[in-house]
Amino acid sequence: MNGNTLTDRYVHEVVRRIPINQRDDVADELRATITDTVDARDPERREAAERDVLVEMGDPTLLAARYADRPLALIGAELYPSYVRLLKVLLLTVLPIVTAVSVVISLWEGDSVGAAIGDGIGTILIVGGQMIAWLTVIFALVERSTFQDGSASSVSTGAEWSPDDLPEGRQPNQWSSSACAAAVWNALLIGLIIWQRVAEPYRADGEGLQVLDPDLWSGWIWPILAGLAGVVALELIRLAAGGWSVATAAWYAVAEALVAIPLAVVLFRHEFFNPEFLAAVNGGWQVPDAVYTIAALSVLVISAIEVGQRFREARR
Amino acid sequence: MPEEELILTQSQELRRGTVVLACLALLETPQYGYALLETLNDAGVPVDGNTLYPLMRRLEKQGLLTSEWNTDESRPRKFYRISAEGSRVREGLAREWQDLATSISRLTKEYR
Repeated sequence: MNGNTLTDRYVHEVVRRIPINQRDDVADELRATITDTVDARDPERREAAERDVLVEMGDPTLLAARYADRPLALIGAELYPSYVRLLKVLLLTVLPIVTAVSVVISLWEGDSVGAAIGDGIGTILIVGGQMIAWLTVIFALVERSTFQDGSASSVSTGAEWSPDDLPEGRQPNQWSSSACAAAVWNALLIGLIIWQRVAEPYRADGEGLQVLDPDLWSGWIWPILAGLAGVVALELIRLAAGGWSVATAAWYAVAEALVAIPLAVVLFRHEFFNPEFLAAVNGGWQVPDAVYTIAALSVLVISAIEVGQRFREARR
Repeated sequence: MPEEELILTQSQELRRGTVVLACLALLETPQYGYALLETLNDAGVPVDGNTLYPLMRRLEKQGLLTSEWNTDESRPRKFYRISAEGSRVREGLAREWQDLATSISRLTKEYR
């Protein structure tokens, strides 16, 4: 049965794209069906008939998607609006901030204006490209995990919508001001982290020292900065949307994890502060291990509480 | 878009949901894929194979159809027939169709 006829090749192209446990059954049925259809055509021109029938069945990829009940869109109608909204925020708010910071750092380090502009353009291309790519990958994965039944009524997979879900009016409320404060605070943290790196603000023996461990810049600081930027973006989205939704709260959880987990690891391993800075500040005194452990645990607990708060607000 | 084309696309939209009901109505007697396609075409419900065959499997997965391989003839074929649940769903759909047809014909009476 597994010869190399046009039909065999076609059937193979279809079934290799569907779940393995249905493959043999679909293959047998499809082969029989195609042969039935060919038999019903002109027996004088069997080969041409086989071709015609396969043309009518169409692209194997498409047919396989129908058999597997798989979405044919990378990001479907359900998720598309939030995808676009998030992409806009990232590209119009976060990207300019990151770019501006990179230009300022270049200038600060004594680069020429031309080189600084070059850095800025490089940042736009690389960071912008990364933003688009990762956002798209994540949304495509969410699309495939949430709406797997593929039916047109995938709305029913979520909770029943009711008018109570409508965001409250645009008047400022207690949550808006807290979102505003959170956005500013996290943006400030990003600024502080970069400032202490660039300005080396602590003076010891006439030499500038960074407060945080310089080794962080070849590793853990990046997810932390990305997470903080994500938190800022999400708080801004929350301000714009007038409340947390389950989706934005989930994103917030991702961003918060990006900050909290590396931060806890770094604290736990005593890799947070610049050793030279600690030596200069503390003299001979050693910071007890327990301080780092407690700090690491506090970071995790506080983050979990913050995430929980967002989800609670989302469900109100 | 020319008028004929508009009518064509819109009538496809109208027909889309009717294939399931037609399938359920015809599969009181067991049939295999190609035979069902032909029967549907003869009955005035034209449908493409690449739509019908995956649809039958989906209906089976939903429990509206049952299937069985028949190996009596030289070519083994998968025969589908309606399940008990499928019969009940068909009755509901048929009622829905009747209501819809009545309403639409009442609405469009003056244009005929």
